[in-house]
Amino acid sequence: MQADSPAKGEHGAAPVTDPGATADTFPKLLIHNARTRADRPAIRHKDLGIWRTWTWAEIFENVREFSVGLETLGLARGDKLAVIGSNRPRLYWAMCAAQGLGAVPVPIYADAVAEEMAYVLEHAEVTVAVVEDQEQVDKILSISGRLTGLTFIVYDETRGLRDYDHARLKSIDGVQERGRDTLARDAAAASRWDASVAAGKGGDLAVILYTSGTTGRSKGVMLSYDNVIISARNGNLFDRLDADEEIIAYLPLAWVGDHIFSYAQSYVAGFCVNCPEAPETVAEDRREIGTTYAFAPPRIYENLLTLTMVRMEDAGAVKRRMFHFFINHARKWGEKILNKEPVPLWARLVYRLGDILVYGPLKNRFGLTRIRVGYTAGEAIGPEIFRFYRALGINLKQLYGQTEASVYITAQPDGEIYADTVGKPNIGVDVKIDDTGEVLFKSPGVFAGYYKDPEKTAEAKTPDGWVRTGDAGFFDPKTGHLKIIDRAKDVGKLNDGTLFAPKYIENKLKFYPNIREAVAFGDHCDCVTVMLNIDLAAVGSWAERNTVAYGSYQELAGHPLVYDMIAKHVIEVNRSLAEERVMAGAQIRRFLILHKELDADDGELTRTQKVRRSFIAERYEPLVRALYDDSTQADIATEVTFEDGRKGVIAATVTIRDVVPAPVAPVLGKAA
Amino acid sequence: MRAPAAGDQAAREILLSMENVSLSFGGVNAISDVSFDIRKGEICAIIGPNGAGKTSMLNVINGFYTPRQGRITFKGVARAKMRPYEAAERGIARTFQNVALFRGMSALDNIMAGRTLKMKRGLLWQMLRYGPAMAEEVEHRRVAEEIIDFLHIKDIRKVQVGRLPYGLQKRVELGRALAMEPELLLLDEPMAGMNLEEKEDMSRFVLDVNQHFGTTIALIEHDMGVVMDLSDRVVVLDHGVKIADGTPDEVKSDRNVIDAYLGVAH
Repeated sequence: MQADSPAKGEHGAAPVTDPGATADTFPKLLIHNARTRADRPAIRHKDLGIWRTWTWAEIFENVREFSVGLETLGLARGDKLAVIGSNRPRLYWAMCAAQGLGAVPVPIYADAVAEEMAYVLEHAEVTVAVVEDQEQVDKILSISGRLTGLTFIVYDETRGLRDYDHARLKSIDGVQERGRDTLARDAAAASRWDASVAAGKGGDLAVILYTSGTTGRSKGVMLSYDNVIISARNGNLFDRLDADEEIIAYLPLAWVGDHIFSYAQSYVAGFCVNCPEAPETVAEDRREIGTTYAFAPPRIYENLLTLTMVRMEDAGAVKRRMFHFFINHARKWGEKILNKEPVPLWARLVYRLGDILVYGPLKNRFGLTRIRVGYTAGEAIGPEIFRFYRALGINLKQLYGQTEASVYITAQPDGEIYADTVGKPNIGVDVKIDDTGEVLFKSPGVFAGYYKDPEKTAEAKTPDGWVRTGDAGFFDPKTGHLKIIDRAKDVGKLNDGTLFAPKYIENKLKFYPNIREAVAFGDHCDCVTVMLNIDLAAVGSWAERNTVAYGSYQELAGHPLVYDMIAKHVIEVNRSLAEERVMAGAQIRRFLILHKELDADDGELTRTQKVRRSFIAERYEPLVRALYDDSTQADIATEVTFEDGRKGVIAATVTIRDVVPAPVAPVLGKAA
Repeated sequence: MRAPAAGDQAAREILLSMENVSLSFGGVNAISDVSFDIRKGEICAIIGPNGAGKTSMLNVINGFYTPRQGRITFKGVARAKMRPYEAAERGIARTFQNVALFRGMSALDNIMAGRTLKMKRGLLWQMLRYGPAMAEEVEHRRVAEEIIDFLHIKDIRKVQVGRLPYGLQKRVELGRALAMEPELLLLDEPMAGMNLEEKEDMSRFVLDVNQHFGTTIALIEHDMGVVMDLSDRVVVLDHGVKIADGTPDEVKSDRNVIDAYLGVAH
């Protein structure tokens, strides 16, 4: 990779003649790192309250033992190995161990119910499943009747599994021990493994990632080593990431983002990945580590901000005033300082003081004190939220990517940050917009195809190598950045012909901390209506301050005062829509607040927390109907799935409110 | 759901034996002439209507009350009188109907407090936190951390327990009892005031404690569903008298028990 050489100078950790740059598979990169960075930390895991660190040399040993152990269980080249669980060192090792044998890891969303898991395990013809704990073992055992190809389940956490039938069940410890024994006993085993690694090529299939899919069955995206490694290398180059970065791995293993950031980029750059103790402790763990490179969907940043604001409302008067004063100052000047624009001296001095009193402690709380690059992706982020973090001096940027692209399509370069764009094409990526407004790209990361689905592959990939993203967007003439409006197939029209982009409206609503989720309807209808979910933390705190009594989420959601408050937000959204010529006709006329939170377990959200609009329209059909007749109330009974898989029914009467649309402003010449 | 050991019930060694125990407060007989055994490794539920003498029974077992008459044999040693701290030293731990934690301390510190009896170094050594005392503290901390991991309360390790919701406080209390590495664990209504999900979590933990650490458990519980699912054996008290003793199925179909719970036409 000659492309590596420029622009690396100032960090200098990766020399220009880095032989690692020629390593074209993960096991080769591991061997390279174990040789050149033997004593540097490669991965950490907080266990029993203590951070434990493994160096590159140590993980090499672990992966090799694991790999040879898996070989004794019969795992062979081309076999599929499922990886199910949270972000733990040994699950990452499982991926590399499989790849060492030429087998293909298939990470699966750990919170998927058994039924969803069965589909992927069956479709991918998985022969060995490496899982975190008893919970996952139970899930697989419950569907094992259908999984004829599955030979072994290998688990990390032994608790609760002692009394299980161990004919097909192995612990990772046990497998590694088999590997260690084999390596000690048989001198040829190590060289056989080396040969197996050497036989791997960049063009080989590296991983199959099943997309969570807003519609229908998930598809298995096949990525080659070249796809993943070249993309990761370009990503590192784009943000000048080197071996000194610290990141925290907490997003699902099955998500392409985690695969690139916590696995590929770490192996390529040699930086350290930190595995949190538990999903609930991520914020605390992040604070202890002080990550330098972070990646999160907007939701995470939203939650952090909502929590901060809620806490500040409860703080003493002095603290609160100090907070608001400096935050306002930061909103005005912070971003300019971050972008290195000219700023008056007094503003700099006040900002410096604010850094000591407010911004610093806040960033410390967020665990973002040492952050160099932070990305948000997956969904649009609220401009207010985005600017808040940037005002604090956190270099938060936007990125647009897809599993089919090995993440990177566009990203914002440092210093060119806008709240409403997703940036410029990444290194090595070409982007074009077709006549229908759909975004297409071509890059080294373009996926090999959907596993066992040539039809779908042909739909997504044009014969000349472009990939359809399914997103509608355009290049902003002012900045040259790409802007995404919505999923191309979701963009519809009202009966009067007005353009209806549901996500655009939903996002505007969701930018209010009180609104957690929004679903807009309007395609082939006379007007736009929305279903809303309130945010329990934000509205709950508001209720406490305004002495609104409530016993449950349902009661709070239906409270007239809550409706009044939400109605104000809807009116503000209408006002902002009215300012945009294209969108002015698509203002919200009626809304309702849903009695329950939309949930992935009920199929209402995808596992990556995106709303499944058509499913919701079907499920809440009586409510949708009521939104479009004149009724002010509607009854609804829905089946819900509890966390343990049992089902129950929630019945409720939901109120519907009318909203007066804002007057459409005369043409201001403002682009949408 | 339970381990397949149910068949050899009778063969299991007796851990605690109560023989003709009676307890009275003034003229009120709280417990009259009750005898039963708790065998090693089992989960034994003590149930009964309000005022049946269940909590009194636990208090007798861990030495808080001294029975008027009767014999209590724990690990083969009979005793007439025992103070609660002696019971604790001999391996009996308990939780309370109303959570009794150090509210101002963190979850971790509360659990560490459960290790007090296991600490060998004196107060001065511990204050110095040096050398052997430090090594000892590290070891105790490891045990406490394993319990925290076991009970899934990693995220509240450093939170003041007074600020925690009730269900979590109960879990921390269970953690503190476990920190004593007891042979016999007494749980006084571990699921009182919990919602369904919390109850299921707690049931899971009780079963896990029993299986994982092999701890013998005696529990009082009002939720019959929980009792029937969890326990190997059920002892039923009514007005201080034992009216039934057997497997959940036996007890469920026992005439006396049905009468006690549903009332009898006189």
